[in-house]
Amino acid sequence: MNGKEFLDVLTSRKSIRRYKTDPVPDEMIDMILEAARWAPTGENYQPWRFIVIRDQETRNKIGELSKQGSGSRMTSWYCLNELQKRFEGIEDPEKRAGVLEFMYSGRVSEFCKQAPVIFAVIGDLRVGSVDVPYDLCAAMENMILQAHAMGLGSCWVYGPVASTRDAIRFKEILDIPTGMGDYKVLSYLAVGWPLEQRKHPRPKLPLEDMVYWEKFGNKERI
Amino acid sequence: MDQVKYCNEVLARVEELMFQELSGMAYWKCEFVGVDFIRSFDIQGKTVPEIVQSCAKVMQEAGLVSDVAYRTSKDGVMLKLTVRGCMHHGKEAHVKNEGIAPYICPVANMVLDQIHQKLKYETSYLFKDATDPENNRCLLYMALYETGDKIGCVSDWLEDDPDAQWLKNQPSQILAAADRKKK
Repeated sequence: MNGKEFLDVLTSRKSIRRYKTDPVPDEMIDMILEAARWAPTGENYQPWRFIVIRDQETRNKIGELSKQGSGSRMTSWYCLNELQKRFEGIEDPEKRAGVLEFMYSGRVSEFCKQAPVIFAVIGDLRVGSVDVPYDLCAAMENMILQAHAMGLGSCWVYGPVASTRDAIRFKEILDIPTGMGDYKVLSYLAVGWPLEQRKHPRPKLPLEDMVYWEKFGNKERI
Repeated sequence: MDQVKYCNEVLARVEELMFQELSGMAYWKCEFVGVDFIRSFDIQGKTVPEIVQSCAKVMQEAGLVSDVAYRTSKDGVMLKLTVRGCMHHGKEAHVKNEGIAPYICPVANMVLDQIHQKLKYETSYLFKDATDPENNRCLLYMALYETGDKIGCVSDWLEDDPDAQWLKNQPSQILAAADRKKK
């Protein structure tokens, strides 16, 4: 694969939240985990740990926690008229109302109930160096790209662990030690065969809006 | 030594650090800040007003605040606290001056914690912490869910709120990025 082909893998990925019921084969699950294992990690500490969850009951519990977490936050955002402002770019009022309801009901984060497999990504704070959260994010990105390269869809979901109280609940569902210095829960990755159309994703900001040369603010390539 | 000033300076630095690490998400993570204090008291109450009043009494007696007024929405989902004379006002003002919407309020956390513990409500974290240093007060908005099906019950919390106009000009964590983008 050359650089251009690799870039095509990157640019054709989008978050997938609707999945077919077909299971994800074990060898694909193993490849996703293998991709995570090769992520960059400070001083090679490899603090990441992964819990592979296929059990429907567990996924339902996590889905409910996600829904409750997102819904409880977004209900208050809506009631103070701030969620609406975030979505004022949607011109069709009916469509906008539907999107808003999808958000404040919490249904936006519930979909792991339908994903055939989810991966909880956690970090062992006792073995990690100073880089645990960043190492975990790098592992997560590798997993997402590996899944996408194999034709699977995935979505990085933060909903059930966004608040400290919910993060503890998430740990309890999965029997993860809850001591303050034990494990960090980053989030989970939902994976499955995409039901949504795979296409090049939402438009991105152009490079000139985000790249400076040599010094902050300098847009001229020197 | 001014211990309150020292405490607030320390906290403001920690908030700066948290904000650098987690940006707007930092305030989703801070709901336990301050709860150990209130858990050391036997807060009593069978309703939201009783819990709020009981917490406020403890905080007043300890010198954390001079006054806490509260208001709930008709459906009981919104809880608004108006806190005066809080020992952490200095910290909030410091953070606000740095361009960060204040996001850690021990007073709100204590009240939410006790509502959760004693009444078994689900609660949001503190949603809005609008600091008004000139008038030595903070307006705090948060959501309470007596049962899970109350999540998603929306209304306009600012409809009859006398502070609505002032609030519109206060920084918001969730809109900060969008506001910056527009500029």
